[in-house]
Amino acid sequence: MTKETTLKDPLDRHPMLEQLSQLWRNKIAIAGLVIVIIFVLAAIFAPQLSPYDPLDTSLYDQLKPPVWHETGTWEHVLGTDDLGRDILSRLVFGARISLMVSVVSVGLAFFVGTLIGSVSGYKKGRLDNIIMRLMDIILSFPYILLAIVIVAYLGPSLTNAMIAIGITYVPRFARIVRGSVIEEAEKDYVVAARAVGARHWRIIFLAILPNCLGPLIVQTTLSFASAILDAAALSFLGLGAQPPSPEWGAMIAQSRSLILRAPWVMTLPGLAILFAVLGFNLFGDGLRDALDPRLRD
Amino acid sequence: MMNETLLEIKNLKTQFFVRDRIAKAVDNVSFTIAPGATLGLVGESGCGKSVTAHSIMRLIPEPPGKIVGGSILFDGQDLVKASERQMRTIRGNRISMIFQEPMTALNPVFTVGDQVGEVIHLHKRLSKQEVRKRVIEMFQRVGIPAPESRLDDYPHQMSGGMRQRVIIAMALACTPRLMIADEPTTALDVTIQAQILDLMNGLKSETGAAILFITHDLGVIAKMAQHVAVMYAGRIVEYADVRSLFSSPAHPYTVGLMQSIPVYGMKKTKSRLITIEGTVPSLFNLPRGCAFSNRCPDVMSECTVTEPGIYSAGNNHMVRCLKYA
Repeated sequence: MTKETTLKDPLDRHPMLEQLSQLWRNKIAIAGLVIVIIFVLAAIFAPQLSPYDPLDTSLYDQLKPPVWHETGTWEHVLGTDDLGRDILSRLVFGARISLMVSVVSVGLAFFVGTLIGSVSGYKKGRLDNIIMRLMDIILSFPYILLAIVIVAYLGPSLTNAMIAIGITYVPRFARIVRGSVIEEAEKDYVVAARAVGARHWRIIFLAILPNCLGPLIVQTTLSFASAILDAAALSFLGLGAQPPSPEWGAMIAQSRSLILRAPWVMTLPGLAILFAVLGFNLFGDGLRDALDPRLRD
Repeated sequence: MMNETLLEIKNLKTQFFVRDRIAKAVDNVSFTIAPGATLGLVGESGCGKSVTAHSIMRLIPEPPGKIVGGSILFDGQDLVKASERQMRTIRGNRISMIFQEPMTALNPVFTVGDQVGEVIHLHKRLSKQEVRKRVIEMFQRVGIPAPESRLDDYPHQMSGGMRQRVIIAMALACTPRLMIADEPTTALDVTIQAQILDLMNGLKSETGAAILFITHDLGVIAKMAQHVAVMYAGRIVEYADVRSLFSSPAHPYTVGLMQSIPVYGMKKTKSRLITIEGTVPSLFNLPRGCAFSNRCPDVMSECTVTEPGIYSAGNNHMVRCLKYA
């Protein structure tokens, strides 16, 4: 009996599959992904998961300790704050805010950054120079300071914080996209696309950009992490979400005075921030290892 | 009859401006191609073959390059003066291009069927199903087996020869009047090369498209072209029909090229393979007089002073060399 030979080499898989299996083998990245999924699920199902209304105050339940404390009860698993609000409920709804902030601000930066980065990298020359020096100027500010300036100008609110974070993140997307577009634009398939009569915008967005997705996905994931952190920082400074909103940074800010009396009120939102950021960072690093062939051994 | 012309290039000059220096990549090049004919353009790397091809398609990156003079009459329309919008309707539709590297000329993230379909989509008003049908038809024509399933392959899943067939299918998709083949077989191994050349010859007689065939391989020229232009340092130094070029090469450069083809079974005793001494001069710094004078075995004192004009070396055989003055 002769074995049937197939035309296609079974090892010759689509590169995307190769990258996915590479990612799957990276246990730390998968741990990050699990954290991210928990975080996203918590945000989506916040009303179902939270035992209380996150804004409901209760005079009788002020500063109840979490369940593992000697006086803790299952009534408030993670305890309550100084106004008697259930911390678990607030954290779960806080995830919702953090997710929204990161999606909106990173989405804004992704859209604007990719647009100007790809045009800049494709057109090159003078336009490229002007755009990139502008990006350099934005990057030369410590970006939390820049965000503070923008919020100070627009007025403190969560929406303005999202816009501010979005603006400060534009340069990193623009730079990454520009770099890969310049690299890709040299390739023959771009000349070939022009030689069949495609327009410039079609070449940029339909031929070149799909080839630049790898670094862009990595940057997006890592930016989610820093957007959560920056949104918390702005809220902590009173420039983002306003009380009584259960934003994690705002929760920390409001409970500063309680650090010795009721440390959980401040620690728990801090831990929430830590894990959310850690999850996105681990997953982002894993993605980078899988998607960037230069880092692969 | 050879009276009508499809493409007529007159005194084309394409230059590259790098800092304060000028490279005359294409200098006063003129030639014509009749409908359905094949013109071979031969020369070493950097002699301006590809720049000529890109000039016709108006694909010279600007800056640093620029077409500074001359005209490219295609079907009576001067492409040098055509707008970008007019060029877009010509590229891929009436003039198409076949590229050298089948590995890089296809976009790695799209299926080959999509890429051939895109050309049709850009120029013809057809529904998705009709485009797909046409792509399958094109695949059959260029000899891709099982076109219905190969359609959904990505470029990396195909061999070099198959990829080149896809590129030819792309070039043929809108039945162009002129195909510019820029070293289409250089990156392929010899057996595949022969297959692709046969395929192109077959398709040419089928569709009646003219071909501008660019190569540095004289053997390929012999197989493909009726007329040959030999380029050196941005200029055409010899133009003849393929027979007289091979039987009686006139320009010392062409003679040198012919002699440097290794012949199978060449006796060891006979001597080493003859080569052309020296290297191609830099386009920034061409020698005075004839550009080939510093390498020419027949160089005369006049050659380093006077630029040679175009002289006749037989019936419809032109040569740019002072020996024939």
